[in-house]
Amino acid sequence: MNILKRELNSNLKSLMIWSGSMIFLIYAGMLKYSGFAKAGTSVNELFNQFPPAVRSMFGLGELDITSILGFYAVFYLYFMVLAGVHAIMLGTVIISKEERDKTADFLFVKPVRRSKIVSSKLLATLLNIIVFNLVTLLASIIFVNMYNTGQPITDKILELMLSLFIIQLIFAAIGAGIGAVINDVKRAASISTAILLSTFIISVAIDLYKKIDFLIYLTPFKYFPAADIIKTSTYSPSFLLLSFILIISFIAITYLFMEKRDINI
Amino acid sequence: MNVIEIDKLTKYYGKARGIIDVSFSVNEGEIYGFIGPNGAGKSTTIRTLLALIYPTRGSARIFDKDIIKDGHNIRKDIGYLPSEVFYYDNMKVIDILKYSASFYENIDKNRINKLAEIMDLDLYRKIDDLSYGNKKKVGIVQGLLHQPRLIILDEPTSGLDPLMQQKFFDLILEENKNGATVLFSSHILSEVQKLCSRVAIIKEGRIISIEDIKALQKNNYKKFKIDMGEAVNDDYFNINGVANLVKNASVYSFLFKGDINQMIDKIHGKKINNLIVEDPSLEEVFMHFYEKEA
Repeated sequence: MNILKRELNSNLKSLMIWSGSMIFLIYAGMLKYSGFAKAGTSVNELFNQFPPAVRSMFGLGELDITSILGFYAVFYLYFMVLAGVHAIMLGTVIISKEERDKTADFLFVKPVRRSKIVSSKLLATLLNIIVFNLVTLLASIIFVNMYNTGQPITDKILELMLSLFIIQLIFAAIGAGIGAVINDVKRAASISTAILLSTFIISVAIDLYKKIDFLIYLTPFKYFPAADIIKTSTYSPSFLLLSFILIISFIAITYLFMEKRDINI
Repeated sequence: MNVIEIDKLTKYYGKARGIIDVSFSVNEGEIYGFIGPNGAGKSTTIRTLLALIYPTRGSARIFDKDIIKDGHNIRKDIGYLPSEVFYYDNMKVIDILKYSASFYENIDKNRINKLAEIMDLDLYRKIDDLSYGNKKKVGIVQGLLHQPRLIILDEPTSGLDPLMQQKFFDLILEENKNGATVLFSSHILSEVQKLCSRVAIIKEGRIISIEDIKALQKNNYKKFKIDMGEAVNDDYFNINGVANLVKNASVYSFLFKGDINQMIDKIHGKKINNLIVEDPSLEEVFMHFYEKEA
């Protein structure tokens, strides 16, 4: 309990900044939407003139961004990237920061098993990403309703947030695993950043060249496409299974390496 | 009973030498010195005992329990003061001490105040704002808070002014009187000399000697300084048992281990201007050790 409390405390400020940013982003986005909605079809025509590469980088694809669902689905891509950055960095840093801050000589000589320290840190990570997700959910529901003139889309938002949560879990687990395997926090953080960036680039590349869509397994951003969720309200079982395997494996790696490795400061 | 028992403990960092075949044991109630130059492997040994790092070979037991398997149980009764003390920033001294206390059962909360008073430590300052010496004090209070049965000190006095060092030594002696065993690592021999009963000497990762401090100092070596009033051979004093013989003009100085009458016989009948015989400091004894072993 004491380690969990400490971790929640030390991440509180960063969580508040992330939450504030998400709220602002969603507010600003929906404000922009109200502009699009007024301009009507001319906006779609404008975006259609963009080269496909640019369109897919912005996540535009086939969606009609003058409809609130279409707009929100495009928006959702940014949530995924931001939530991914938050989760993977949180996971990486929370595991390896004790050595960076040289507090390892305090924490790891306490009468607790290393596995308990890891559990507390993972639990703190889980609670942080849950708050991130709930804040995104609530802000979405509130601001979407504020500018939505048509059908309510709250159920779709809930479905999208659930897939967002799975993606957060995957990236947090990957981050923790990297933090446990690489014992230099700076290197761990850059590897995590590199992984996040490459998964994003792969997801954009797949949109551009359909031929490489076998790479889809490499990028969690593509596991639960917003357009599919909106259309069918279902999640692909095979990708759910893959997500589950990824999360469990990286958590296992985290425990295994933290148990076995030297704590150096 | 042995509180610490180390058996051929070996640690390599990749290919780099940490420690090789380190073995020694510390009796209950003892203050045990652990001496060696920087980089000799003192911290590596201590960090292995605390299961912060894992040995490549060999094993060690504390309180007759395996340091790896039972590490978390053993550490209930260990107070550790690392050579460099770092704490979570943004916390007040009192917060870190309470956080530390939360890991142990049956903590006497008054002890925080008592220890802080002895060490002259302001509990309500932020850790960030503390000087190196003050951080060290936090480390001392934190390490002794739970009345550990074994206190492990890694270069504890660096950063403390002499007055604080004395208070710190008094504190350690008091804990020792109350039953705590102490492992005291240092490269400063005089402080080990002051506190410890026995000492293990480590060099380049290996224990080169384990000595009883009193025996080492009192019974074995005498330091001679003889200002000769007549010329003698350069080798005149170089008899069995003499070490570090230095001749400076007419002054001969050396360490002598053996029957002192032998040396008196050498001087007898010679004309001398001055004669000083004293117990050597440990420093000098060890310098001799290191030179001999090198």
